[in-house]
Amino acid sequence: MGVTESARRLWVVMSLTLRYLLGTRRIIAMLLLSAIPFILALSLAAGRVSAFNIDLFQRLMIPLFLQVVLIFVTLVNATTLIREEIEDNTLPYLLTRPISKPAVVLYKYIGYLVAVLVLLVPPIVLAYGVTEAYQGTALATDLDVLGGFLVATLIGSAAYGAVFLFISVLVRKPLAVGLLIGFVWESIVGSIPGDVPKLSVIHYLKSILQGMIAVGPMTTYGSDISAGIAVLILVGLSVAMIVLAMMLFQQMEFRQKA
Amino acid sequence: MSAVAEAAGVSKWYGEVLGLNAFTASFGTGITGLVGPNGAGKSTLFKLLIGQLHANQGTLRLLGENPWNNVPMMRRLGYCPEHNQLYGWLSGQQFVEALLRLDGMPAAEASKAAGAALKVVGLSAAAHRPTRTYSRGMRQRAKLAQALAHDPEVLILDEPLSGADPMARVQILRTIADFAKDGGHVLMSTHVLYEIERITNNIVLIHNGKAIASGDIHAIRALIDEHPHAVRFETPQPRQLAQALARMDHVVSLEVPAEDTLVIRTRKPDAFYKELPGIVADTKLEVRGLESPDDSLEAVFRYLVG
Repeated sequence: MGVTESARRLWVVMSLTLRYLLGTRRIIAMLLLSAIPFILALSLAAGRVSAFNIDLFQRLMIPLFLQVVLIFVTLVNATTLIREEIEDNTLPYLLTRPISKPAVVLYKYIGYLVAVLVLLVPPIVLAYGVTEAYQGTALATDLDVLGGFLVATLIGSAAYGAVFLFISVLVRKPLAVGLLIGFVWESIVGSIPGDVPKLSVIHYLKSILQGMIAVGPMTTYGSDISAGIAVLILVGLSVAMIVLAMMLFQQMEFRQKA
Repeated sequence: MSAVAEAAGVSKWYGEVLGLNAFTASFGTGITGLVGPNGAGKSTLFKLLIGQLHANQGTLRLLGENPWNNVPMMRRLGYCPEHNQLYGWLSGQQFVEALLRLDGMPAAEASKAAGAALKVVGLSAAAHRPTRTYSRGMRQRAKLAQALAHDPEVLILDEPLSGADPMARVQILRTIADFAKDGGHVLMSTHVLYEIERITNNIVLIHNGKAIASGDIHAIRALIDEHPHAVRFETPQPRQLAQALARMDHVVSLEVPAEDTLVIRTRKPDAFYKELPGIVADTKLEVRGLESPDDSLEAVFRYLVG
């Protein structure tokens, strides 16, 4: 198969995924959830909270955005990629075309990544802008904070998405398992002292923030790895999860739902 | 080409449920009907043929190749699933076009081919409507359009007439017949024998996961016709009706189980149903209703498998 044909298939599967994730009614709930950082920043500014500055922005966004919004948005979107097609009986249309099952997984994942970044990036940028405007500083004053959160959003979306996609290929009810991993495992393991947090994604996201942001609460997080290493570890995790999902999907059988 | 598809001792089970049981059959060129009652294993066989299931035992070939995870073979195949789900947020045109682009077709070519396929199945007028607004018959036709739009060698159609209205049925059957006339091969499943009779003489009968008969539909029909076929009449004059019907030499038994009921058995149901209106009209006997407990394929299959 030629590169052009593969590119066409990537475009079609990615477009179908994007249209499903961003073009159906489910987008309303996703937009509301993703907008929480922006709504919160606007509320703090409108309420004229005197302590609202870039330091408070970080203190709020780590637990709220990274540990709730990011996980929930990636969980809901990544677990529907394959599972919805199986449940809706639409998968045969894709699988009776000259496209391999692993390619379907990979192309859907790329579509997912674009969709969640469209959902997650604008609110965090806008929240940052509101914060800078409220504290009366130039937009470029704390670009390290914005950069740190954008990298954490990109890498976090990739890593959580890959983990949740793998789960959705592995089990029939991926949402329940994903909720356990995203909220129970991540919050408990991520907060235990010592080396245990290294078993959580959130540890590496915090390590990225620690390495990239010069001033604020993350400077004292205490991770012993650099932002670059944290990025590499999460990229490695994402690749491993996607490859496993592709291998598993290749061997899956699809019995029509009754 | 001697056989489009061949199955030799193919078994497929889902846990403890047997989907196919040492199924052996050969599907020749042209149109072949796979006929069997619900749950007989038709969809399982088709899912094996399109490579979505893997046989636990036996060998299976479609167009001479093993279909399991056979990506290149998909270019030669068009598949119409049993279920009516489509991507509801796409129009018929977008739906067929997207799938054609998965075949590697450039956008302009895919758009043209999608339009042509939708025209063939009579969906041009609704081509730009979201498929979620389609009726069942329209969905069946949209599924058929995507299956044949890339000009495959073989169409595998799982109950393509299920739920379709009379107009859609005519359109679908005509499309299938035209595809075969142009040299294509069709494997089509149905649980209604007379549907397939209109477009082919070749059928394979499947029951409980096994191929129980195959070949010319007339030979199988004759076999079926030898099966004493029961007809139950609701009438206030069962004995008089029995006397009138006893004159038919193919009627093998008559019984009056209740005061308003007559049950007859005939070896030639076709002839019986042809002669019945004349007899009732001549004798002016009142017949309030009739039904055949043997009318289902299930009964025919029970007979054929002993």
